[in-house]
Amino acid sequence: MTTATATRTAARVVDAVKVYGVGDTAVRALDGVSVAFPAGRFTAIMGPSGSGKSTLMHCAAGLDTLTSGTAHIGDTELGTLDDRRLTLLRRDRVGFVFQAFNLVPTLTVEENIRLPLDLAGERGERERIDALIDVVGLRDRLRHRPSELSGGQQQRVAVARAFAGRPDVVFADEPTGNLDSRSGGEVLGLLARTVRETGRTVVMVTHDPVAAAHADEVVFLADGRLVDRMESPTADRVLDRMKAFEVPS
Amino acid sequence: MRTAVRLSLSSLRAHRRRFAGTFLAVFLGVAFLAGTLVMGDTLRASFDSMFGSATAGTDAVVRGADAVTTPGESQGVRAPVPTSLVTAVEAVPGVAAAAPDIQGAGQLVGRDGEPIGGQGPPTLAGNWITDPKLNPYRLAEGRAPARSGEVVVNRGAADKGGLGIGDTTTLRTPDPVRVTIVGLATFGGEDGMAQVTFTGLTRADAEKYLTARPGLAASIVVRAEPGVSGSQLVDRLTPVLPHGVEAITGRQAAQENTDMIASQFLTIFTTFLLVFSGVALLVATFSIHNTFAIVVAQRTRDNALLRALGASRRQVTAATLVEAGAVAVIASAAGLAGGIGIAAGLQALFPAIGFPFPEGDLVIGILSLTLPLAVGVLVCVGSALLPAVRAGRTAPLAALRETAVDTSGASRPRAVTGAGLLALALAMTLTGVLVSPSVWPAGVGAVLALAAFVVLGPVASGTAVRVLGAPLERLRGVTGGLARRNALRSPGRTAATASALMIGVAVVALFTVFGASLKATMDQTVSRSFAGDVAVSTPSFGAGGSGLSPKLAPAIAALPEVDTAVGLGRGVAEVDGAGRALTVTDPVALERTFDLGEVRGSLRDLGTDGLALTGQEADRRGLHLGDTARLTFTDGERRTFTVRAVYGRSELAGDYVVTRAAWAPHRTQDADTLVAVSFKDGVATSAGEAAVEKVAERYGNPEVQTRDEYAASSAGGIDMMLTLVYALLALAVLIALLGIANTLTLAVHERTRELGLLRAVGQTRSQLRAMVRWESVLVAAFGTAGGLVLGAFLGWVLVRASDGASDSSFAFAVPPAQLAVVALVGLAAGALAGLRPARRAARLDVLRAIATE
Repeated sequence: MTTATATRTAARVVDAVKVYGVGDTAVRALDGVSVAFPAGRFTAIMGPSGSGKSTLMHCAAGLDTLTSGTAHIGDTELGTLDDRRLTLLRRDRVGFVFQAFNLVPTLTVEENIRLPLDLAGERGERERIDALIDVVGLRDRLRHRPSELSGGQQQRVAVARAFAGRPDVVFADEPTGNLDSRSGGEVLGLLARTVRETGRTVVMVTHDPVAAAHADEVVFLADGRLVDRMESPTADRVLDRMKAFEVPS
Repeated sequence: MRTAVRLSLSSLRAHRRRFAGTFLAVFLGVAFLAGTLVMGDTLRASFDSMFGSATAGTDAVVRGADAVTTPGESQGVRAPVPTSLVTAVEAVPGVAAAAPDIQGAGQLVGRDGEPIGGQGPPTLAGNWITDPKLNPYRLAEGRAPARSGEVVVNRGAADKGGLGIGDTTTLRTPDPVRVTIVGLATFGGEDGMAQVTFTGLTRADAEKYLTARPGLAASIVVRAEPGVSGSQLVDRLTPVLPHGVEAITGRQAAQENTDMIASQFLTIFTTFLLVFSGVALLVATFSIHNTFAIVVAQRTRDNALLRALGASRRQVTAATLVEAGAVAVIASAAGLAGGIGIAAGLQALFPAIGFPFPEGDLVIGILSLTLPLAVGVLVCVGSALLPAVRAGRTAPLAALRETAVDTSGASRPRAVTGAGLLALALAMTLTGVLVSPSVWPAGVGAVLALAAFVVLGPVASGTAVRVLGAPLERLRGVTGGLARRNALRSPGRTAATASALMIGVAVVALFTVFGASLKATMDQTVSRSFAGDVAVSTPSFGAGGSGLSPKLAPAIAALPEVDTAVGLGRGVAEVDGAGRALTVTDPVALERTFDLGEVRGSLRDLGTDGLALTGQEADRRGLHLGDTARLTFTDGERRTFTVRAVYGRSELAGDYVVTRAAWAPHRTQDADTLVAVSFKDGVATSAGEAAVEKVAERYGNPEVQTRDEYAASSAGGIDMMLTLVYALLALAVLIALLGIANTLTLAVHERTRELGLLRAVGQTRSQLRAMVRWESVLVAAFGTAGGLVLGAFLGWVLVRASDGASDSSFAFAVPPAQLAVVALVGLAAGALAGLRPARRAARLDVLRAIATE
C-alpha cells in the first residue's frame, strides 16, 4: 500500500494557514498545510510540541476556523457554514475523542454513547448501538456513571460515542494521553479494529510513537508545515523520524 | 490578617462578576430598609412641623376631660363642651381670644358626582374659625364663609374634586347640604393635612349640621395675650372650667395630634414596610449564603494550595469573610444611598399624585443611617460565615485531588433533624389551631415549619426535581433530561437556591390564602347574618366618609315595595368601665333583616334603659338576662341599663344593641353606617332596588347594593391590600431570582468543559440555552412548589388560629385560580432568571471550553 489509490477523501485541508494573535506577537500555528485524510483509514498526526498538530485537527474538524485556506469534511467546505450548521455537521458527520473529560458526568454510559443521536432526536439504530457496545466491551457497565469507570473504560465509552452517529470521520486528540500503557493499548486497538471492521475513518493527534504505530499512516508536522508521511508505521521507525526533528536540518 | 485582606481583595477583583448577585441582593434589601426608615422619619418630621405651624397660634385647648376608647381605636371619643363656655373663657385674664371648634364628618361631592376622599384619611367638616391665629387653616383664596351655605374648602380637596370658588356642590353631613365654595384654604402651608379633606362652615351651619344639638363644640381653642405662656394660660383657665372639662396647652394638643397620626398611620405604614423589607432580607440571606458556598466549593483547590503553603485555617476563613465584608460594606453603602434616593423620589412623587408632602429636606435619623448599614453587613457576613468556616477546613491534600464534589445534601442527620423539626412544627401548630386555640404556639409552629422546610430542602430536592422534571425528559428529550440531571447534581445547592424563592412564594401564597379566606369570611358573614334584600352603605375604608343620613332608613321604609328598612348607627359608651361600641338601631326591625342566631329574652322592648348583647360578650362580662350594667356615655352621664336580650351572632350587628331613644340624649353627629332593606313578598329585587336608589339619591346618593354586591364591596379593601402586598413582595421574589441566576452562572462556569464537550459532539446553541433555561425552571418549580405548600399551610394555620382566638368565625378558603397564577409566575420567573446564564453559556467558545483547566 505504498501508492495512494484514488480512494474517497473523508476530510482534507488545503493551504491551511492559522495565525494566532496580531502584529509582533502573531504566531503561525499552521503555515500552508495541505493534507487529505482518505476514507476508511486510520491516520495519525505527529509532531513535536508547538508543531501545530492540534490546531490542524481542530480546524479540520470544524472546532476552529482557518485564517486562510479551506477545510472540508467530505465535500462540504467548513468555511461556508454558520455556527448552527457547523454544529449539526459535527453532530451528524464527525466524531470526537478528547484526551480527557469526554463524558457528561450526569449521563449513564449508554446515554453518553447515544448522546449525538439523542441530540439529533434520532430514535432506533438500537442494533447498531448494541453491536458497538459489544465491540467496546461495556455491556455490563451500561447503567453506570462515568465517575464509576476507570480511565480506560471512560475512553472506550468515548470511542463508542464517537462512532455512534456513523460519522464520516472521527478525530481523536491524544486519546491515550491520560492512560497507562495497557489501557492505552486497548483504546488504540479498539480504534484500529473499528476502522478495519466498519470502514470508518479515524484521524488521531498524538506525540506517542507507540500510539502512532497503530495507525495505517502517519503524517509529520513541524513548525506548522507538513514535513513527511509514513505508511505502515512501526514505533521504532516513528521514533527515529521524530528524533530527526530535534536536530535542525 | 494582612495576607487575608490582600488575598480576598485580589480575589474580589478577579471575580467581580460572581459577586454581582450578592451585591444586588444586599443592595436591594438595604435600599428598601433605608428608604422605609427615611420616609418614616421625614413624614413624621413633616407632620410635626405642619401641625406646629398650623396650630402655632393656639395657646390652649379646652375640651372634655374623659375619653371613651373602644378596643382597636387609639383615639377615644370625648364629650363635647358647651359653646357657652367661650364667654367664661374670654373673661379669664390673659386670654386674647377664644373660639369654639366644632368638628364632625363631612364629605364633599366632587364635580363628577363622586364623593371626594373617604378611602382612608378622615373627611372633616367644622366651623370656620374667624380668628386667623386660632384657625389651623389659612385662607389662601377667596373669603371666609359669611352666610349659611357658604364654605371654605382646603385646596387639596377642591383640586381633587375639580371644584373652585363659586362652585356649588353637596356636603354629606351625612344629610346632604347644598354648599357654595367661597374660599380655598391651606393647612400649615400645604394644600391640606395630607389627604384629609376639610370643609369650613359658618358657626351656625356647623352647629346645625355637625352636632347633635346647637351649643356644643368639640373643644374651645384659646389664644393668650402676649407675654402669657401656654402653661400659665392653662393654670388660669382650669379654675373656671366646670367638672369634666379640662384645659391643655396648644403645644400638648398639637403633640397629641401628631402622636395620633404617628401611631395610627405612620407606625402601621412603616411597620408594614419593615416587615416586607425583612422578608426581602431573609430571602437575600439565602441567596448570599448560596453564592459563597458555591464560590468556596469552586475554590477548594486554591484554598487547599494556600493551606499546603502554610496558611492557617483562620487565615483562609478570614480571607473569605473579608471578601464578604467588602461586598457587604460596598453594597450596604450603595443600598443606603439608594434608599435615600428612593425616599427623595417618593417625596418628589407624592405631590404629583395629589398627596401633599411638605417640602423640605429629607430627615435622616441616626437610626435610619446606621440600621440599614448594620443589617446589610450582618446579613452578608453572617450568610458567608458557614461557607468561610468550611473554606478554612479545607484539607491541604484537596489541592491534589480532582475538583471537589459537592456532597452536602441528603445526609441522614439532616433528614432526621428536618423530620424532627417538621414533627415539632406540626405538633405546635396543630395544638395552637385545634387543641387550645391560641396564636402564639401556632406562630412559633409556623416559624418552625419554615425552618423544617429549609432544612429538609436538600433531602426533598432529589425526589421533587425528579418528579417535577419527569415530564420534561419526555417532552424535551435529551435537552430536558440533561437539564433535569443538572438540577439533581447538587441537591444542597439546588435546595438552597430554591429556598430563597420558596420563602418569597410562601409569603405570597400565605397572603393569597389569607386574603381569600377573609373574603370568604365576609361573604359568609353577609350571607349568614344579612337576611335583607339590598344594603345601602357608603363604601369607605378607614376613617373617611360621613356615613348615611339617619333620615334615610325611615324614608326607605315608607316605600310601598319595602317591608323593613333598618338603619344601623354607631355609638360608644363605657360598659361597666370598659369602652365598647354600641349598635344604635331599631331592634325589632333589626331582628327581621338580620339573622341574630338564637335570641334569649326579647328585643321588642329594650326601651331607653335596656340593651341586648351577644352571648359571647355576656359570658365574658358575666352578664345574664335581667342583670344590670352601668353605661357611661361620652357626655359623662352614667345610666343603668338592663340586659333584656342575649343573641347569638355578632357579625354585622355588633356586640351591643341599644335603641335610638336610649342613645339620643348622648349622641353627637348622627349617622348610620348601613341601612338594610328587605322587600315585601312578590317585589322583584331589581324593582325594589330601583325604588330604593331613587330615595337614596335625595340623601347624598350612597350606594345601593344587593346582598352579593354588598358582600363583595365589604371585601374590596382586601384586594387593595393584597395588591400592595404583592407589589412589596415582588422585591423578595426578584432577589430570589437573582439568586437563581447567580447560582446558574456559577454552575455554568463550573461546567465549562462539559458544555464545551456537549457543543463539540453536536449540541446546538439553542439546545444548550434551552438546557440551562430548563434547569432554571426546574429549580424555580421546586421552590415554587415548596412555597405554595408551605404558604397554604401557614395560611391555614393563621386563619384557624385567628378563628379560634377571636370571637368572629373565620372561613378558610384556598383560591385555586390565584395560586395557579402564583405557580405560573414562579415558573415564568424561573425561565427569566435562566435567560442570562443561558446566553452566557451559549456564548462559550467550544475550543476554549474544552481546553479549560
